[in-house]
Amino acid sequence: MDNILILKIAFIGASITLLFIGLYAVLTKRNLIKIVLGLSIMDNGLNLLFITMGFVKHGTAPIFSPLVMEKLKTVDAAAQVMVDPVVQALVLTAIVIGFGVTAVALALVLRLYRHHNTTNIDEIRNLKW
Amino acid sequence: MVAVNPIYYIALPLFFAFLLPLFGKIHKELIRIVPGLLYAYFLGMSFYMLRHVFVTGQPYIVEIAGWKAPWGINLVFDAFTGLIITFISVLAFLVWLYSYRFKKVEFDNALKYFVLLMLVTAGSMGIVMTGDIFNQFVFLEITGLSSYGLTAYYRGRDGAEAAFKYLLIGSLASTFVLMGILLIYTQLGTLNMADIARNIHLMKPSLKIAAFLLLFMGFGIEAEMFPMNGWAPDAYSQAPGPIGAVFASMTSKAGLYALIRLTFTIFDFSSVSKLLFIMGLLTLLFAEGIALRQEKIKRMLAYSSIGQIGLIMVAFSFNTYLGVFAGIFLMINHALIKSLLFFSASYLAYNSPKKYIKDIQGFGKVMPITSFLFALGAFAIIGFPPFSGFWSKFYFLLAAAQKHYIVLIVLILSVSLVELVYYLRVVHKLYFAKPTGDYEPHSPNWNGMLAMILLALVIIAIGVYPDLVTHYIDKAAVMIMDKAQYIHNSLGI
Repeated sequence: MDNILILKIAFIGASITLLFIGLYAVLTKRNLIKIVLGLSIMDNGLNLLFITMGFVKHGTAPIFSPLVMEKLKTVDAAAQVMVDPVVQALVLTAIVIGFGVTAVALALVLRLYRHHNTTNIDEIRNLKW
Repeated sequence: MVAVNPIYYIALPLFFAFLLPLFGKIHKELIRIVPGLLYAYFLGMSFYMLRHVFVTGQPYIVEIAGWKAPWGINLVFDAFTGLIITFISVLAFLVWLYSYRFKKVEFDNALKYFVLLMLVTAGSMGIVMTGDIFNQFVFLEITGLSSYGLTAYYRGRDGAEAAFKYLLIGSLASTFVLMGILLIYTQLGTLNMADIARNIHLMKPSLKIAAFLLLFMGFGIEAEMFPMNGWAPDAYSQAPGPIGAVFASMTSKAGLYALIRLTFTIFDFSSVSKLLFIMGLLTLLFAEGIALRQEKIKRMLAYSSIGQIGLIMVAFSFNTYLGVFAGIFLMINHALIKSLLFFSASYLAYNSPKKYIKDIQGFGKVMPITSFLFALGAFAIIGFPPFSGFWSKFYFLLAAAQKHYIVLIVLILSVSLVELVYYLRVVHKLYFAKPTGDYEPHSPNWNGMLAMILLALVIIAIGVYPDLVTHYIDKAAVMIMDKAQYIHNSLGI
């Protein structure tokens, strides 16, 4: 097995581990802040997975610069060595959305804290969970 | 033509929502007038475009920034999505009319309300129109974030708690959707729905099933599907009154649309409809059973709403023309009637903080018109003639009979009986119980009354003369069944 493949598998493993750490935090932690952190970790795991999927062996930045074109001559050959730009664009969007969700979640936690004077989810039970 | 373009449905609310604070600086009344003008414009534009689509048979396709699909994002306004957009526009206008004088004295709170209202309509319309699955995810998040804000709107209630719960489940949903998108993208290298639908057979079967289940669960959460709909009753009951109507008629309908697009267009399993059938039936039975035990009026309406979503899913799962026809009819009716119920119920329970059903008993004499409108809505949703609810249930039973689902017909009729029991219980209390005298009735203002009466008139008009909508539903049903036509419209092949 060559090093690149091992690297790719390591990245996939790491991102899936992050996903499950986040999920574990969301499902088992009783502190609201920790739950929000869990959500954030889950987002990051997924973003890492996206980036890994666009990875190309010895890949370069997806820009058709004169330097690249000079070395590889044709557009097709140049495209072969470039990493996938679409997943990177998707991840940029997903990061911004994740940031928005985290901000709203923390604002809600703050509101809950002011209202109930606790961040423990077990003590906030006016509605059925 | 410059004045009509599907992109306005998304661009203009986003544009004006964030400019609304500036408008407020110019004149305080503008924060109410600007959304109204926008919704009135959407109303006119929807009817014009829908008419045009029906007369010429040509859908409106917009390629954003000039990138051709499948590389760019396209918006599709065809017979099916156009119909949904049109009734979202109708409901958006009526919600605006109903809440025109909302928070008359508190400028800042009113501003937040109208900004979030515009964002939630932009998001729902985006989910319905977009032809790009990642773009759909973005709109799902826009809808979700503005819904969390609206749920947490009141400081005094338990809104923040409901919103946090909604946010947790909503984030889980978006993670599922994103994973599904990733699986599809790594396999097919495209994000355009028509392009995915064209190449879906190239996916590895195991990954295809995984992607489908992830997307189905993700959008199912937004559509209030069975196991993950615990957030819905809390969100409905904690949000301001008109927002219950928004959730019932826009956000859940957008989620439902995504489910339908997923099962009818994108994926090619034959067993998908069985999953839709089972989940729909479970949703229906679970929700109607719980609705029967509710003590609070808004929670009861919320569970009834979830039940209706289940019924719509069952109708679509028949996978026949008649079933789809009934499903679209049920969608329209549910949006109209449930909005009327939420509108009238929030005035009936205006001064009662906990919104118990017993708090509003005897209001039939003190608030005759609002009570009457609530009763009208209750009868319409159960499916009595001459209201519009009758026709959709009638077509549903017809579709079930065509498939020879005798047990299902019996089941649906008995569920209708359950609905009859819990709605009539409220109507009975309204008219025949003595007022407790604990809460002062609050008479609706003129614009709220106007919105409710308009809705009631539409419900009766469709009930008496169903041809008003059946032509449109007919074309929409044909459109959603025709996968090749959708691919042709989007990609031009």
